[in-house]
Amino acid sequence: MIKELFYLLIFPGFLFISAFALAGEYIDRKLYARFQNRVGPPWFQPLADLIKLLAKEDIVPCDANANMFKLVPVFALTAAVASIIYIPLWQSSSIYSFPGDVIVVLYLLTIPTLCFFMGGWYSTSLFARIGSVRTLTQLFAYEVPLFMSILSAAVLADSWSIKDIVNFYNSHPGYLLFNGIGFVVSMIALLGKLEKTPFDIPEAETEIVAGSFTEYSGRLLAIFRLTLDIEMVVGAALISAIFIPFGLNFSPVPAFIITVIKIELVIAMLSLARTIFARLRIDQMVNFCWKYVVPLALTQLLINFLIKGFFR
Amino acid sequence: MDMVKKIVTWARIKSPWILHFNTGACNACDIELIAALTPRYDVERFGIQLKSTPRHADVLVCSGPVTRQIEDRLVRIYEQMAQPKFVVAVGTCACSGGVFKGCYNIKSGIDQVIPVAAYIPGCPASPKAIIDGVVKLLATLDEKK
Repeated sequence: MIKELFYLLIFPGFLFISAFALAGEYIDRKLYARFQNRVGPPWFQPLADLIKLLAKEDIVPCDANANMFKLVPVFALTAAVASIIYIPLWQSSSIYSFPGDVIVVLYLLTIPTLCFFMGGWYSTSLFARIGSVRTLTQLFAYEVPLFMSILSAAVLADSWSIKDIVNFYNSHPGYLLFNGIGFVVSMIALLGKLEKTPFDIPEAETEIVAGSFTEYSGRLLAIFRLTLDIEMVVGAALISAIFIPFGLNFSPVPAFIITVIKIELVIAMLSLARTIFARLRIDQMVNFCWKYVVPLALTQLLINFLIKGFFR
Repeated sequence: MDMVKKIVTWARIKSPWILHFNTGACNACDIELIAALTPRYDVERFGIQLKSTPRHADVLVCSGPVTRQIEDRLVRIYEQMAQPKFVVAVGTCACSGGVFKGCYNIKSGIDQVIPVAAYIPGCPASPKAIIDGVVKLLATLDEKK
């Protein structure tokens, strides 16, 4: 019982993942600033933002459904924190590894997005509603290629559990070369999931104020921001565990350090993409995903099926 | 309890999010304010971020004498902000009404309508002056505790 609580609340649960998420946000913002030839925020900036928001007043709009408005951020945070339990961090197996955990992680990462939708919807502000509808529209565009690209790697490894996938690719590193397309597709989809710049349509501040989060202030906004950061770290950890699983079969301490470095590398790639691209329109985004990204993911799936048929 | 208060004050000083609102200015102060937010001055060093909704902002940066038409909107935006909130008046017009002082159609300064925490004079106020003003406002926050 105490062991489970420790896993859930301290390591690798809430406390550790929050600190890691704040560090991830700092790296993202600092790199973004350096790419723009700026100095960038100091190292404690995400922490200061979080504490300040936690100490601010919570405003619930009088038209909003107060219970849902307050509950939804907590649901989002819970789902994001729960998903780290099934991600391997210091060995090839996560703490509660079971066959099928890759699918559970993918679904747990979807819940925050649905919560952003519901939070925006129940705040009954016009901007929040437009933002939340865009969140959902975008969800249908990137979720399919994300699932296809990650599960095609699982198809090649012939298992639905992250542990077996990691072990398979560590013993047969050659097969990783075939997963290149899947890696690119899942990075694009992760950008969409995290609502980062080429796909930050749901919170486009020049059009619809702040999207789903328009009416959120204080503590509830802090929880939403922390959720997004945790989602970024967990998504990066999932991609690094499946597409670049090296080092996870070492002894715990070096394996953990290598995992952290890999996650930060994925985050660095995300912030590079954020710097290079400008925001798309929602119709361009949906078109791009269904016309180019989904066929790419299908190609990856086909390649993996063929390799599995011929070589394994 | 004292420790918590100290940490919260520290966080507030380190992360002021601003909301820019034009209360009838000629746009010169707004251009200077936008210049202060460019990579040239890089206000993210101090944790300052431009937010687009009053719900997220801590500091309301107003420019211009308050025209009678915008007065109600200014009060509404101020009331939509979450506590604790501060108002900064940028430019001579925002401080006192400037050359428009006494006109029939303006209120002669932000402080006629909502409480103001810091005044930044200048026509227009330069980006450096604006950043200095915001930093001085945050310094007073530390003294008050």
